[in-house]
Amino acid sequence: MNLLSFLSMLILAITLLTMVFGVIAYFLYKAREKKKNVQGVTYEEALKEEDTELLFFTKDEDDSELLSK
Amino acid sequence: MVKFLQKIIFVATMAFGVWLTYYSLEHLQHIYIEATSQFMKFSVVLIFVFTMLIITRYMVLMFFSILQMIKRTADDNNEIYTNDVVTIIVPAYNEEDVLIPSLHGVLHQSYPNIEILVIDDGSKDRTYSIAKTFEFDDGRRSLKAYSKVNGGKSRALNYGIERAKGNLICAVDADSKLDYNAIELLVQHFQDPQIAAVAGSISVVNRDTFITKLQALEYIQGLNMVKNAQAFIKLVNIIPGPLGMFRKEAMKKVGYYSHDTFAEDCDLTLSLIAHGYKIEFEPDAVAYTEAPENLLDLLKQRYRWTRGILQAIKKNRSFLWRPIKKPAISFVMWYMLFESVFWPFMQIWGDLFMITLALTSGASQFLLFWWIMFTVLDIAGAIYCLLITKEKLSLAAYSIVYRLAFITVINIAKIFATIEEWFNIKMGWGKLERKGRIG
Repeated sequence: MNLLSFLSMLILAITLLTMVFGVIAYFLYKAREKKKNVQGVTYEEALKEEDTELLFFTKDEDDSELLSK
Repeated sequence: MVKFLQKIIFVATMAFGVWLTYYSLEHLQHIYIEATSQFMKFSVVLIFVFTMLIITRYMVLMFFSILQMIKRTADDNNEIYTNDVVTIIVPAYNEEDVLIPSLHGVLHQSYPNIEILVIDDGSKDRTYSIAKTFEFDDGRRSLKAYSKVNGGKSRALNYGIERAKGNLICAVDADSKLDYNAIELLVQHFQDPQIAAVAGSISVVNRDTFITKLQALEYIQGLNMVKNAQAFIKLVNIIPGPLGMFRKEAMKKVGYYSHDTFAEDCDLTLSLIAHGYKIEFEPDAVAYTEAPENLLDLLKQRYRWTRGILQAIKKNRSFLWRPIKKPAISFVMWYMLFESVFWPFMQIWGDLFMITLALTSGASQFLLFWWIMFTVLDIAGAIYCLLITKEKLSLAAYSIVYRLAFITVINIAKIFATIEEWFNIKMGWGKLERKGRIG
């Protein structure tokens, strides 16, 4: 294989890999943003979005003791 | 001697680029003749059109940029105009890490008549209390901090404009730091009553990683080739968030910043051009900004920019079809559409075509020459911009990676952003987290 053919194959491989990488990176970014938005929501924001009263249950030590019994 | 050598390098790179263009187009002609299917022939024609468009874009931008440089040198006026009061508005949301260096930059301006208004847009950190400690008033200069309920950058800017005493409004991002003479240089352009706004130059401050060096090169090229060329016809299409100055009266005429797009600066600039105003660019008025340091943050920034620009184009779309009645705004909008939509689609489509061609007909050497052609053009453009900005010429080497990978990844994000905008998929402002590098 001469140098030009080798470089052509290299460019071809890099172009292909970059395109795949670009698509993966974009979806990784979208997944990160989605995760951030879910974590960042406050009670007031969730209430406004859902337009209904929401109930939150917190698990405390007594609950875990009850569950283990 | 060094300067002469640099110029020789630039001319040699350009000559090599022209030769490669000729070689690639000749090769393309052979592929067209040998193509057996109509689809292949059509694809070759498209690639030819695409290549010609890109080369023409390069040549036209570089030509007008050089003309603008000559014009600036000829217009060099030593008289400094300092009569107008300039109100600098710094909208800030959760900027405690960067606000202090940013305010230092604003306070140490060489221009004497300034009023600084820091608008805290309902921050959840110490932004407002930090801004409060900087408050002062010495008669000619003052700084005042305001706090309002969170409502977005455009509302914060309008809140500041309502309280501004100055005839000239300078919008500065809280995560940017101004060069000491930035305001003074911007003000000089307003002696021309037709000028409604002047864009400042943006420089990447955190050039310590590979990805930020690539962005630094991108900014230098984008500003000094694209914005300089646009400034020749006084139709700069976007006043950047980190630094831009506006005539208050002109802003009033177009209804100040609007709240319905994610690119309020682009939307305002388009409105000003639509009203017949001229927009200038001042390359020596510099604002230092922090570029995203990881790929996902960079994609987030470009995604928001693309959707914001598309929203502004969509909002003003009627001007696209009025090239005779409104030639300036129509031209600007077609150019923006080309840069933000057609160009990314064409680049990705071109790459896909080249891959298909290489895999089916074994014409992979053409792919190599085609790629080298664009890379050499990029390097020539980079050398030209680095020479005029007196930046390190070594940055031009990053053009290879820029063409090989960076632009493809960015264009893929732009394509997805375009598709999501087309389908009106909900988006948020998505504030970037700053590392406090501007200090």
